[in-house]
Amino acid sequence: MSDQPLVSLRNPWFVAGVGITVGIAAFSAVVGLIWLPLAQPDLKLSGIWDAICSAAGVPRATVQDASIKPEFRTSNVVMTSEMLTKPDQVSIGRGATLSQRCAICHGPQGVSDANSPNLAGQFAAVTYKELNDFKAGARVSVVMSPFAAAISDQDMKDVAAYYAYLPRVPSNNLNAGLPAPAIVVTGAPMRNIPPCGSCHGDIDNKAGSPWLGGQSAVYIKAQLQSLASGARRNDISQQMRNVARQMTPEEIDQAARYYAAQP
Amino acid sequence: MATETEHSPGEAVTARIERRWATLSIIIVGLLVGMAAYIGIHQATMPQGHVETADPKTLHLAGEFIESNLGSAVEADGSVTVRAIGQQYSFTPQCVVVPSETPVTFRATSADVVHGFLIEGTNINTMLVPGYVSALQVRFKAPGEHMMPCQEFCGIGHQGMWGKVKVVDKAAFLNMAAAKRRLTCVD
Ligand code: HEC
Ligand code: HEC
Ligand SMILES: [Cu+2]
Repeated sequence: MSDQPLVSLRNPWFVAGVGITVGIAAFSAVVGLIWLPLAQPDLKLSGIWDAICSAAGVPRATVQDASIKPEFRTSNVVMTSEMLTKPDQVSIGRGATLSQRCAICHGPQGVSDANSPNLAGQFAAVTYKELNDFKAGARVSVVMSPFAAAISDQDMKDVAAYYAYLPRVPSNNLNAGLPAPAIVVTGAPMRNIPPCGSCHGDIDNKAGSPWLGGQSAVYIKAQLQSLASGARRNDISQQMRNVARQMTPEEIDQAARYYAAQP
Repeated sequence: MATETEHSPGEAVTARIERRWATLSIIIVGLLVGMAAYIGIHQATMPQGHVETADPKTLHLAGEFIESNLGSAVEADGSVTVRAIGQQYSFTPQCVVVPSETPVTFRATSADVVHGFLIEGTNINTMLVPGYVSALQVRFKAPGEHMMPCQEFCGIGHQGMWGKVKVVDKAAFLNMAAAKRRLTCVD
């Protein structure tokens, strides 16, 4: 070899090597970023720049075409698993005062003798979401809706914090020995029903799923029936309707009786 | 082969056999590469052309994934767009209805964690990643039912998460679509 430098334009091997590599890179860029994207009519690209951006994976917000608007009210609550999990004392205190208006039906300690749902020990996010849905008209009850009609956002947070703070009181129907029915333990995987506890807190808690233990069987049954029929549709994107719709009337009975007997 | 004798008949036979085997393996390799290339070009599900985003927490408030907009829609060009979401532990709509012999685009996203999106008997097999829209095209040849399981572990109730795709005759589908703008087969 001569003493000519390796990296030099006078070295023909160097020039050819680098030249071919750059050529291949440029060719691939044109093919991958421009030619192949434009060859796909489905992509509906508006031009070369659009082709380059989409091939390079520049994110864009979904094109907002005309969506069909709902004929009924849906929940407008944004649920997250962290929602209202850090209560403060002031909020609980204010909630205690506000809750006096609810005591006739939901019980002074958040435990009802009638068939109104118990609220003591309920996840705060659930109480908050349901109140919001009653207020917005996404969930409707002739008895309950009027009491949520004028309640402020802060008041909802406060009562929710207060009820979450109250201890769950074992109901009169407590029967820990009652064997759990199959629909509760395993669900029905062939019908898209996971175990109830994978959302409702017995095993895991999906944000917004109420604690069911100790709720009256009449209430649980009524809710499952109205979720199955679509009379109640405030669950976000049908997450509970998809379950209830697949349950048989016997399974609804069994689940209602089982949860009513749990703490 | 280290044989001392020249022109041994054994050596010639061995060389011939080796040549034939080499030819055969090259043909097999060529066939496999050809098959892969053919399938790749003609039957592959192409990677998505666009990266589209959608906020998983607010899907139900506005945009194309609100409850009333989910399901199958007939587009102006005669193709069908199906919008769906995956969430712990179901797909909405639970039952998707589409016509046969029609280009169908699935647009789906997740409302919480990563889910799988697979339609049995088709090339559709992708992930639903929260924050992103997965869009895939397919054409169903004949009426029938396909399972649509979530094939990506998504939590403690994952084994119960699946939906189905019902392919109906094109004319029957268009009849249904005349009465309603978003179709599903949820009862
Ligand atoms: C007149 C009786 C009555 C009063 C007063 C009342 N509620 Fe209710 N509440 C009900 C009934 C009945 C239901 C069940 C509604 C249904 O069947 O859908 C209910 C449901 C609820 C739920 C939903 C529970 C769940 O598990 O889904 C919440 C939360 C709630 N009420 C909070 C309150 C609060 C807070 C107040 C006071 C501001 C209040 N309620 C006052 C009767 C009442
Ligand atoms: C995918 C998660 C999930 C599974 C599985 C599930 N649920 Fe639910 N369920 C929910 C959510 C979320 C809600 C609250 C809906 C809303 O936003 O109002 C709910 C609401 C309910 C309610 C109404 C309670 C109230 O106080 O308002 C009942 C009753 C109920 N579920 C029973 C069951 C039973 C029984 C099973 C098992 C067969 C079950 N659920 C399985 C998520 C689930
Ligand atoms: Cu899943």
